[in-house]
Amino acid sequence: MEITRLAVTMCLLVVALLCLTENVAARVYIDINSPGLKRLPIAVLDFAGIAEGTELADIIKSDLDFTGLFVFINKNAFIEDATAPFNPDNWKPLGIDAVVKGTAEAEADGSLSVVASVYDVVESSNILKKKYASRKDLIRPLAHKIADDIYEALTGQKSCFGSRIVFIGQEGDRKSIYLMDYDGQRVKKIVSKGDVTMKAHWSPDGKKLFYSSLRNGRWGIYELDFDTVSEEKLFSSGATDLAGDVTQDGNYLLFSSSGKGSPNLYRLHLGTKIVTRLTHSDHIEVSPSASPDGKSIVYVADKSTVPQLYIMSTDGMDSRRLTFEGGYNTTPEWSRSGDLIVYSGREGGRFQIYTIKPNGTELKQLTDTGSNEEPSFSPDGRLITFTSDRDGVKGVYVMTVNGDGQKRISPRNIRAFGPSWSH
Amino acid sequence: MKRIALLLVLLALVVSGCATTDVAVPDDKKGKDAGIKERNGKDDVIKIDRDKIREGALSEEQIRSQMASLFKDIHFGYNRYDVADDEKANLRKIAEWLLKNSNVSVLIEGHCDERGSNEYNLALGDQRAQSTKSYLVSLGVPASRLETISFGKEKQVCMERTEECWLKNRRAHFVSSK
Repeated sequence: MEITRLAVTMCLLVVALLCLTENVAARVYIDINSPGLKRLPIAVLDFAGIAEGTELADIIKSDLDFTGLFVFINKNAFIEDATAPFNPDNWKPLGIDAVVKGTAEAEADGSLSVVASVYDVVESSNILKKKYASRKDLIRPLAHKIADDIYEALTGQKSCFGSRIVFIGQEGDRKSIYLMDYDGQRVKKIVSKGDVTMKAHWSPDGKKLFYSSLRNGRWGIYELDFDTVSEEKLFSSGATDLAGDVTQDGNYLLFSSSGKGSPNLYRLHLGTKIVTRLTHSDHIEVSPSASPDGKSIVYVADKSTVPQLYIMSTDGMDSRRLTFEGGYNTTPEWSRSGDLIVYSGREGGRFQIYTIKPNGTELKQLTDTGSNEEPSFSPDGRLITFTSDRDGVKGVYVMTVNGDGQKRISPRNIRAFGPSWSH
Repeated sequence: MKRIALLLVLLALVVSGCATTDVAVPDDKKGKDAGIKERNGKDDVIKIDRDKIREGALSEEQIRSQMASLFKDIHFGYNRYDVADDEKANLRKIAEWLLKNSNVSVLIEGHCDERGSNEYNLALGDQRAQSTKSYLVSLGVPASRLETISFGKEKQVCMERTEECWLKNRRAHFVSSK
């Protein structure tokens, strides 16, 4: 609790500093937590000065559009261009409340130098002005960074535009881990060892992945380090070892192992590599995910003869059943703010995505088309990525935490599933 | 209750083992991950085995064809991993054959139908392989000759979305490993 409060205070300080240096108005233009939210009309002009100016603006628009918090006006209606001084009277007739303008320059060394500004039409003020430098081939990450600053200036919240999603892609019988930006762009295959590789789990700092892989007829849990670009085997009991989530403090990897008979839950200290057994049961226990305060773990057990969600304390004690609706509930993930658990449950012959509060109330079904499984929260908890077969072949989809705006983000030429969103 | 029943089974095995000479006794109460303790002197057992092999040893060809006809998949109920009563006769035949052919080791693969999460199905397949192994061990097959692996729902033998197909996929499958 103390630590959380301290973290919040520090965040506020950081925001305050940004306010001083960047002249960001204290006003929140969109209260994203307000129930009767009205979408903000915004104009994003093509950036002037470089050939990629339109691409830059399009990526920023796409990011803002992803949130469902903005509404856009066709750019053919714009009177003012990016190089002209901002004049609110050019925008008021179009019903626009905020304007994003930018100029860019290609430097002699091939890098880009960009200045982006956000204007408040009603108050006639400049609410953000910031300079960026970037390699020319990293225009997408640059655009995401600019969009992130715009989003923060308008909502007071951090966005997930810089976050990434890993998923399992299948070609033939072979399964590999793929990495992509949160919007489905820049897809890369990163791990293709092993006959079968399971859903990967991120370290909170985004520098490592943990996953189970079947290699030479044996299951093992592996760690991929993005900094050193190396893979290490962390654990193998000789039986079935299944990586779960990493605790929010980054200290422990939770996992399930049947090395002692029944698949029970364990944790591995990522520093000392010491393994501690958390449960001793004679039934199946898999898919552990820790609460952000580190005090509880939600997991799947077949104690009642069918898989249901349970919550226990981190030491393996005080287990209680969380889900009572439905005969098959699996793959829970605890949101990083702690207020919700998302999971997939069987409904008729198919699976759908549900959210539930950790106290078992407010069960909500978010999907109803095709079969939908393996949900994972975005870092800000506002979006959920999941697997769906609604278009025939399995793919990775995204929706808001309310189930709105469901769309496919993974490429259509890869059978994709098991998405996991970076923190 | 379960434990008592298992102990009785183990006792029965020890008793019957006295009469036959080459029955190994599993030392794990659940029959899973059992190490082997041989009741007689180690040398005696090996000698008997060698004699048996010399007398009745099968060619690789014979082993393969006998295994193909005898080692049928064991099927499981939906979301179940206990060995069903109607599969036990099949497993008894397999155990008898393994006791006769002591140079053969077997990998037991646990499989599931396509429904449900990958992770849960891997655990389920693991338990199907392990309960099949436990049953064979309870019939006297040395655990050291029985390895298990779970493939979850990764390797389907039947691709349609029908009850018949799902049943075919929910299986313990045997592969000769030596």
